[in-house]
Amino acid sequence: MSKLKKGVVYLLFAIPVVTQLYPLLWLLLYSLKTNEEILSGSFFSLPKSPMWQNYQQAYQLGSYPKYLANSVLVTGATMICVILLSSMVAYAISRFRWKYGGLVMTVFLMGMMIPMQATLLPLMVIFKNMGILNTHLSLILPYIAFSTPISVFILSGFMKSIPHEIEESAYIDGASIYRIFRSVILPVSVPPMMTVCILTFITIWNEYILAATFISSERLKTLPFGVYTFVSQYSVNYGNIGAFLVMGALPVILIYFFLSGQITKGMVAGAVKG
Amino acid sequence: MKVLKVPARTIAVFVLPCLLLYVCLVFVPILVSFYSGLLKWDGITTAKFVGLANFGDMFWNDPVFWPSVRRTLLYALASMLEIPLCLGMAILLHRYLKRGNTLASIYFTPVILSVVIIGQLWKTIYNPTSMGGMLNGLLISLGLDNWTHNWLTEPKIAMYSIYFVSLWQYFGYHLLIQFTGVSNIPEELYEAAKIDGADGLKADRYITLPLIIPIFKISIVLAFIGSLQAFDMVMVMTAGGPAHATDVISTHMYNSSFLSLKYGYGSALATFLVILCLTFTVAINFVFNKLEKKYS
Amino acid sequence: MVNRKVKKSAALLLTVLMALSLAACGGNGGGKENAAAENTGSNNGAAKSGDSEKKVTITFQNIYPDPTTPSHKMINELVKEYETANPNIKIELDTLNTDQQKIKLKTQAASKEIPDITIVNPAAQMKPFVDAGLLAPLNDMLDQNGLKDTYQSGLLDYYSFDGNVYALPDGNNIEVVYYNKEIFEQNGIKDTPKTFDEFLDVVKTLKAKGITPLAIGEKDSWTGSFLFMNIVLRTNGGPGFLQDVMDGKKTFEDPAFVEAVDAFQELVQAGAFPDGATSIDATAGGNIFKSGQAAMWVIGSWETGAIDASSVAGKVGAFQFPTVNGKGDPNEFMLAPGSAFAVSANSEHLQETKDFLNFFTLNLPKKQFELKNAVGLGQKVDGDLKAAGYSDLAIQIAELFNNVKGGDLAFDNTMNPATAQVHLSSIQNLFVQKVDSAQVAKEHQTAFEANKE
Repeated sequence: MSKLKKGVVYLLFAIPVVTQLYPLLWLLLYSLKTNEEILSGSFFSLPKSPMWQNYQQAYQLGSYPKYLANSVLVTGATMICVILLSSMVAYAISRFRWKYGGLVMTVFLMGMMIPMQATLLPLMVIFKNMGILNTHLSLILPYIAFSTPISVFILSGFMKSIPHEIEESAYIDGASIYRIFRSVILPVSVPPMMTVCILTFITIWNEYILAATFISSERLKTLPFGVYTFVSQYSVNYGNIGAFLVMGALPVILIYFFLSGQITKGMVAGAVKG
Repeated sequence: MKVLKVPARTIAVFVLPCLLLYVCLVFVPILVSFYSGLLKWDGITTAKFVGLANFGDMFWNDPVFWPSVRRTLLYALASMLEIPLCLGMAILLHRYLKRGNTLASIYFTPVILSVVIIGQLWKTIYNPTSMGGMLNGLLISLGLDNWTHNWLTEPKIAMYSIYFVSLWQYFGYHLLIQFTGVSNIPEELYEAAKIDGADGLKADRYITLPLIIPIFKISIVLAFIGSLQAFDMVMVMTAGGPAHATDVISTHMYNSSFLSLKYGYGSALATFLVILCLTFTVAINFVFNKLEKKYS
Repeated sequence: MVNRKVKKSAALLLTVLMALSLAACGGNGGGKENAAAENTGSNNGAAKSGDSEKKVTITFQNIYPDPTTPSHKMINELVKEYETANPNIKIELDTLNTDQQKIKLKTQAASKEIPDITIVNPAAQMKPFVDAGLLAPLNDMLDQNGLKDTYQSGLLDYYSFDGNVYALPDGNNIEVVYYNKEIFEQNGIKDTPKTFDEFLDVVKTLKAKGITPLAIGEKDSWTGSFLFMNIVLRTNGGPGFLQDVMDGKKTFEDPAFVEAVDAFQELVQAGAFPDGATSIDATAGGNIFKSGQAAMWVIGSWETGAIDASSVAGKVGAFQFPTVNGKGDPNEFMLAPGSAFAVSANSEHLQETKDFLNFFTLNLPKKQFELKNAVGLGQKVDGDLKAAGYSDLAIQIAELFNNVKGGDLAFDNTMNPATAQVHLSSIQNLFVQKVDSAQVAKEHQTAFEANKE
């Protein structure tokens, strides 16, 4: 292969690195600038002296720790439930011999087509009747429900590709189906679970419409709500907004960079027959 | 092939918890919403049953409806056209780099950021020159003064500006999917092809493409559904304005329900959106199943 | 062993989910008791029984999220005072921005579950809530401690239906033109414009010097409408145009309306507004003026406090909107009776809520006065602005208030929401393209007729 061709290809790889990483860099710089520097508007300019106090002010004004704690709780609970519930369903769909497997799968897939905004009002009525308005449950339950379609999809795709021998030998050894699920299927399904984790985490961590609607108590509100309110209302100092945005995105960035090696493994495992 | 024949009770234990939760919190609400589409209702006072009148208004009396359908479908088309590009890039990544997945996960970065951040960034890029818009600034410094625009407020341009942000944001998402697919193709196949004299593009034509079809389909469907429901991005950038110039079905639905207080009408729009989604997904599936058969 | 555990927990989960879904699918039948039993820990359940010393939590939905504003301080300080004096009462603030609050309240209204105290807008905007029986009449509470007499006469009419008052406003404002005196002087503009032609000349002069004449944030389309309706108030020769349309005495195709659209388009053509106005949020639009980048700002007098707290403080004056083509009276204003506190008719603690709101509204004027935010209050305040150290601008605005002869409410406070939305986007459209004025009028009339009750 010619050097020129190789050069062109590497350039092709490099361009998206710049354009796709730019927002992180931009945000970081933005959060350290003064209002004047922000309004001057150039793609790359370093702040003259980094305004670390932006972070201090944003931290004080935005009730960050409380929102963070709530978000961690809600997101964590949701992810555990999503992983557990959807891998159970995925297992049943992909490995059991039963009549309605295909139907169940279709029902779940249809969920991806349902716009969440259209369910806002009915959900409100349901939660009122359940008496769980203004509790974290009113976020966790719909988050689980809306995350399951994509999770079931990814997990069942993977589980279909698990060789049957593994199960069979356990079955012959007299292990129950629950035991096979727990000690054979779940452990080998870790890669797609990581993928599900990342995708679910991203969506839930950034969700604010349900969060603003179903939660009224200040002590129960989550981070995206805080970020959204802060950004839309507190416009006197752009740097503070930037700082708050960075703090809000930090957990998701960290999680992503820790798990990103995993995401490629589980994304569509099993869909290629080879 | 499914090996395990298990009692119905066991199936129930595995499936019902998730299914029930899902049905009650996703399916029941959307069915309720479908029903609301048959009402003349402001969401607050007493509702009146009007049958299909909302749909009549939608198809024949609402000047915003058809343009928003057109924009939505164009949105979907644009996102789907991006995917072959992602596939090409994924093939190159796999071929030329040992650790292509590092790059693939870097490309994914915009997906993890919230729409608030993305919106804030792109608004600073698209701002008019007088407010320090970075894109216009760049064009001017390149001497291309007459290429500058008010990217988010000129009715003819605004929608494309939003499409572009979506394409940029989801480039990494689809690339990652394609890349995983390409990496999962067994290396032996290529080696065997090489012996037969098929290399590079030729190998792609006869090995990669046929094997990647299922993955390609997943991407297409996800891109389609995603852009049909595109909501946050439009709300943050323009909220459907100026004067509905960037309204898509979902924003029109939201504005009708909650601002015009025509909740019944908004629900009818939701019904339409879901049906549109279903129809096209079935169609896409149909086309790809044919393709798969042809190549396998 | 493990197997049994898994089985057991799965079964348990299933039971819980079944119970939940029963509640969900079965409506308010048996499900409610179920759910209530599971949720005794939540704050609603806590105060079900007990005597006068019971712990009561009142939810107060409000729209003062910005911690740097006087209103935010006001609400927090008053709540704290009340909680100290009444240890058995806890006020839970649900603080949202305006958009969020509107959506949230509508969603809550659909399930008949609105917070103990919420925020509604006057007249047409609050009517559906009243019609649905969601709001409690406050007449009895207004009579306590002489609260009723603190309000300016006639103000409560905007919040009254069939002789009952359903909400108490946080203010009462008028639309004025704020201007940056420094920019005016630097560009040789001696006097504030009295007629629309003079106003246009000022706009053109400023524009020629590269200064944004008028700040606006038209992504929130009420801002443009508010300005536009002020022109209608002039071309119509006085207030009542929208009312006449609703009464069938006039149509939107009336010459007064078309003339107003023409005048507004002249402003747009003259380059009065910032580039890309329709993508700017209302707050960001205001910042263009508050940071000294625009010469004028046509907005409600509620911004006085914020302007005095901004970097252009001390450089700003205000004047009445000019007459248009010799029509109208400058002392007639666009009136903006404020967002108002309403009480849920289904509140579990109706009496306690009313008692608190009585305290809150009685003390609001005093607190706002202390926080230098007394301009545009809906209630009478004792105290001399000047002596209390208010700015010249505040005093000037107060004088404009004294001359108010009458005026109109904003479009969305007069017409039903569906018509209002068509109007708002129709006006937004004028910012981005030239439109035949007769066409705009026709669009309004069609929407009005289609959405008539």
